[in-house]
Amino acid sequence: MSDQGGSEPIIQYCGIHKAFDVPVLRGVDLSVGEGEMFALFGPSGTGKSVLLKTTMGLIQPDQGDVRVAGESVFYGGPKALSAIRKLAGYVFQNAALFDSLNVLDNVLMGLPEDELYALSRSEAARKAWNALELVNLDPELVFAKLPAELSGGMKKRVGIARAIVGRPRILLWDEPTTGLDPVNTAAVERLIMRLSRELETTSLIVTHDIEGGLAMCDRVAMLEGGRIRFSGSPSQFRASPDPVVQAFVDRAAAEAQLDLAGEPSGVS
Amino acid sequence: MAEVLARPVVGSLRGLGRAATLVAEHAGAIGQLSWSIIVTLVRGRVAWRDIVQQMYVIGFQSLPIALVTASLAGIVTSQQGGYQFTGSVPLYVLGSVVVESMILEMGPVLTAIVLVGRVGARITAELGTMVVTEQIDAYQSLGRDSIAILVAPRVVAGIIVMPLLVGLADADGILVGMFAAKLTTGLGYESFLYGARLFWHSWDLVYSLTKALAFGLAIPLISCHMGLRTGGGAAGVGRQTTASVMFMTLTVLILDALFPPLMLQ
Ligand SMILES: Nc1ncnc2c1ncn2[C@@H]1O[C@H](COP(=O)(O)OP(=O)(O)O)[C@@H](O)[C@H]1O
Ligand SMILES: [Mg+2]
Repeated sequence: MSDQGGSEPIIQYCGIHKAFDVPVLRGVDLSVGEGEMFALFGPSGTGKSVLLKTTMGLIQPDQGDVRVAGESVFYGGPKALSAIRKLAGYVFQNAALFDSLNVLDNVLMGLPEDELYALSRSEAARKAWNALELVNLDPELVFAKLPAELSGGMKKRVGIARAIVGRPRILLWDEPTTGLDPVNTAAVERLIMRLSRELETTSLIVTHDIEGGLAMCDRVAMLEGGRIRFSGSPSQFRASPDPVVQAFVDRAAAEAQLDLAGEPSGVS
Repeated sequence: MAEVLARPVVGSLRGLGRAATLVAEHAGAIGQLSWSIIVTLVRGRVAWRDIVQQMYVIGFQSLPIALVTASLAGIVTSQQGGYQFTGSVPLYVLGSVVVESMILEMGPVLTAIVLVGRVGARITAELGTMVVTEQIDAYQSLGRDSIAILVAPRVVAGIIVMPLLVGLADADGILVGMFAAKLTTGLGYESFLYGARLFWHSWDLVYSLTKALAFGLAIPLISCHMGLRTGGGAAGVGRQTTASVMFMTLTVLILDALFPPLMLQ
């Protein structure tokens, strides 16, 4: 398996096993290099979200460990874990905004607790303001709104603002474009590229949008049957002789056709 | 033949084994949760503002329904007692019957059952929704302690508020029972209070408030525990809330049954 990227690995999954009622992950080994844009594909229900959550210690594997920036997530103790959680931002699939907090307070939750206490209210608000502007929201318009008053696309952006406000070195994206229409999908993909560049982060993106992932990312991997079936560059992925990978690429092409056919004219 | 006869026995033994495992598993998880709550409290990571807000929701907002329930219990006890005490039992004994049954049993247990429905179900549904919408994961990924923010304030508020609620419910049930006795049996307030004092032990009030404390701990603790174990989307939240209400109701009744041998010897 060509699993080694060009740059120093910043995230390393080592032999991750996880079973709920049935085995989900059965020995996942994968590394993501510093500064990379990395896409993770796979059929739904294969454990992509579970794998992504182990990176932050949100799900405990039955076996194996994750190392983030040299620290062990599961054997490094609470100090290492909290350092890792400061280092990385997680964008949840359905935004996971806190229902009872308005947009401003949701974004402020993205600042580490000690940093939040050290800042004055207006300094903290300025950071949240910047984060909202970075995700193309008008802070003036949205800051006082509750999550229930936002559209799906806006929620997603607020979720992204909350993940980036603390300036993480790593961004973990769980299906950032799922459930969005083609216009919003393209917009969010541009946003991911721009943020990764401007904030100089490593991005690990779990996505259904194979075409988008192949176009955006330096490296891609495919999770299938609880293991990494493929890991390499987008061109290697397209050219892979593996029939499972081939079927996946074909399906992506077919879906892209459908999207084009289904797209109303005049919208780009 | 013997095999056929043995099958239901083996089956029910297996069921018993499963139930025992389940009880042990819940007990272990609740023990762990309690320990985490104590740790966050000792480290001073729980905000007073959150506790006060939960006291308002759990206590103040439950007051009307708790008082209505206690009033009805007072009316019923005093009427049914009055109906029984004809002939040889002097009517002033009714004062003691109303006071003792309100304080020992009706006040704490009925208030607890009201809180199971009003507060416990709500907590399980709230936390369960936060689990399935990944808000609990979000707290953790942002380095926040969801026990300190969500669980500890509810449990502390329950412990503080429940004895107050039960104290008020006791007093309310007794007063209403006294009026009802006067209306339906003609028993004067003086005689009612005379009867009440004749069999009164101050210990009974301690008993009542200790029960309240136990229920005030059990209801938020179990409802938070059940909420945090929710899985399976919106349907999962519904299932888990129902299971939680059953769990809390049974716990209240079982705790209630344990009190007399422990405290009334
Ligand atoms: N907390 C959990 N409890 C039980 N089962 C879970 C949990 N999280 C995920 N699963 C199961 O693990 C499998 C993989 O889930 P997931 O990682 O969400 O898939 P996906 O690749 O679509 O993101 C699914 O079968 C799911 O039901
Ligand atoms: Mg997923």
